[in-house]
Amino acid sequence: MIYAKMWTVVKPSVGIPVFIAAVAIASFSVHLALTLNTTWVKGFLNGGAGKVVAVAAPAAEPAVKK
Amino acid sequence: MSSDKVGPSGLTEAESEEIHRNLIQGTQIFGMIAAFAHLLAYIYSPWLK
Repeated sequence: MIYAKMWTVVKPSVGIPVFIAAVAIASFSVHLALTLNTTWVKGFLNGGAGKVVAVAAPAAEPAVKK
Repeated sequence: MSSDKVGPSGLTEAESEEIHRNLIQGTQIFGMIAAFAHLLAYIYSPWLK
């Protein structure tokens, strides 16, 4: 386990918050992008997981017809 | 003994390895919970369908 020795150089009080922040920011970015660009995350968060597809489909139809 | 050697951060190699073990274990537990959450999202949403 060669990476285990990195904490002899990097202070854990700095390195661990940086590591956790990197994971949190990456995760938040992906989920924000999903929430902004899909209908089904919004539908799920609004409490209509089963109805999302049915609600989303009619809304998309007028745009297709034009 | 090489594990008593203190690095620039003030930690010995033994302490460093102990912290790393815990960090790896925490990451694995987080990863398993995240994988389970993604499995549920895959089952209950139209994700990738």
